[in-house]
Amino acid sequence: MFGAVHSVRVPASADALLALAREFTPRVEACGPCTVLLDLHGLARAWPQPAALGRALVDAARARGLDDPRVALAFSRVAARLLAAGREGLTVASAGQEAQLLAPLPLDLLGLAPERADLFRRWGLRTLGDLAGLPGGGLAARLGPEGPRLRRLARGEDDAPLVPTLPPERFECALELDWPVEGLEPLAFLLARVLEPLGQTLAARARRAAALTLELRLVDRSVHRRTLKPAAPTALARTWRTLLLLDLETHPPRDAVQAITVRAEPTPSRSVQFSLLDPAQPSPERLAETLARLQEWTAAGRGGSAALVDTHRPGAFAVETFSPAPFAAAAGEHPAAPRLGLRAFRPPRPARVSVAAGAPVFVTAAGVRGAVVDRAGPWRASGDWWDVAWSREEWDVAVAGSGVYRIFRDRLRDEWFVEGELD
Amino acid sequence: MSSPAATVKAALEDLLRHRRLHADGPPLRGEDLRPRPLATGVREVDGLLGGGLPRGQVSEVHGPASSGRTALAVSIVARTTRSGALAAWVDTADRFDPAGAAEAGVDLRRLLWLRGGAPETAGLGRAVSAVGTLLGSGLFEVVVLDLVGQGGEARRLPGATWIRLQRQIERQPTALVLLGDAHLAHGPSGASIALRALCARWSGAPGPGRLLQGLHVEARSGRQLSRAARFELVASS
Repeated sequence: MFGAVHSVRVPASADALLALAREFTPRVEACGPCTVLLDLHGLARAWPQPAALGRALVDAARARGLDDPRVALAFSRVAARLLAAGREGLTVASAGQEAQLLAPLPLDLLGLAPERADLFRRWGLRTLGDLAGLPGGGLAARLGPEGPRLRRLARGEDDAPLVPTLPPERFECALELDWPVEGLEPLAFLLARVLEPLGQTLAARARRAAALTLELRLVDRSVHRRTLKPAAPTALARTWRTLLLLDLETHPPRDAVQAITVRAEPTPSRSVQFSLLDPAQPSPERLAETLARLQEWTAAGRGGSAALVDTHRPGAFAVETFSPAPFAAAAGEHPAAPRLGLRAFRPPRPARVSVAAGAPVFVTAAGVRGAVVDRAGPWRASGDWWDVAWSREEWDVAVAGSGVYRIFRDRLRDEWFVEGELD
Repeated sequence: MSSPAATVKAALEDLLRHRRLHADGPPLRGEDLRPRPLATGVREVDGLLGGGLPRGQVSEVHGPASSGRTALAVSIVARTTRSGALAAWVDTADRFDPAGAAEAGVDLRRLLWLRGGAPETAGLGRAVSAVGTLLGSGLFEVVVLDLVGQGGEARRLPGATWIRLQRQIERQPTALVLLGDAHLAHGPSGASIALRALCARWSGAPGPGRLLQGLHVEARSGRQLSRAARFELVASS
């Protein structure tokens, strides 16, 4: 048997109806904000009479502040739901009585699409009984499979199973200590005790933790809270323990620890189809752990993968979080000959350049000094006139007794710089 | 000529070796358990080294300014990242040029770039520690430690530093490449490549419109740097 509790007004709390239903059975299904369905199988021991069970539901609903609860018990889900929505008070439908009780109820309760409701209105159908009384074959001929389905619903016939609405998942584990602990070493051991069950719970639900919050209640009653978001979600307790310890090394609690709570932010587990023919991909867990160990570089924005920026401004780039995408063969051919690279000076080094006949003949800058023995240029470039304008005149110069350098004259400031060494 | 079945079998065995799927099993017939060298992408240098840089060893590439040290290291990284593996560049002086590297074929998404030069990342001790972390992870096929311009400070590092890194890397299929101005250190079977610029190639006579087209370089390796090879580095267009 199924039950339905319907509230005419939307309850103040979204979970109020679900909480009420879960007092009776864990198998409950939310049907919109105002109705909840209950699977009442197995409750006959506690309430031998369905009417008594119905009254208990009404009393519980009133106790939870619902003014005029509508409760219906029936042998199909749809009948219980429609009777609760359409009839006031308590309705108990015995087996075979559903169609009779549903017949006077308005057709709108089926939640029809506007064009379908309009069609039925033009056919002169007003109640569920009107629809239930039509021949199934005729409805199928006019509406296709949808017609007989609606007719069955109007008769309270429904063989679809109840789809339970699960309570929100909380991935949390706590440990209250008898004696406060100080230092990272004992804490490492205790972290393993809370992280391992948490990891097992996550794995059992096919989840990983995208972020983990560690709360340490200290002896001075304050809470030391740290939230970590690794490069890749993981459910491995060992990885989380390492990440937390690395973080606590740099952000230690100021007092002894009295209680530990870890809370995970779950994310669906990844499913990756590996290939025998492609290169092995790095383990996300190990990558996250490695990046955490390099935190002093990555946190300061000094570590990651370089990304080119869509601009002509020389030397423009961005540093992004290092998260290599799944391998795909690189487009284009590998350059046949090795390319001369630039060892950039950041920022470019100010230089004093002697010029003769419009060409540089002597360069002096930090680490670079000598006569120019050969040169190529000038090559002019400019851009960003709408923002921070730049305009430059570039030369590649071979400096006697040194190397080949790229120098440029800032045409807006009329100053020379060494951009880098060609190596 | 071998049959198609034999070709397929050989390819599969090669794949299994490469993926290390039978690491605990007995050697396959005719299997060479020595790790394959890491090709540099420069034919002449690979010929000089007998196939490329040895894995599981500290190798070094050194030379004066504009001798092609960076170009050779970028070529190694380009070849590595384009094959799908990961590379790391520990840039102690923040001199790496991403645009030039991308033009040389580096897949920047597969290159972890650690930039020194800022107060929070200054000091070779930190860079060496980061290299240790990178090698310990086993994720990277090649790690470049760029020490160009840091010769004095690099020589003041404890001598055990390089031994420790060599011990850390020797059981891994990773190559650690030290870039420097002069010889610094290399593993017992690691390569030491000394580079020297020969001459620059320019387009035409001096004057407007002239371009730097390339740089001829000589690489020397082996005991007493007795073996030499010459190649050209092409300037970016």
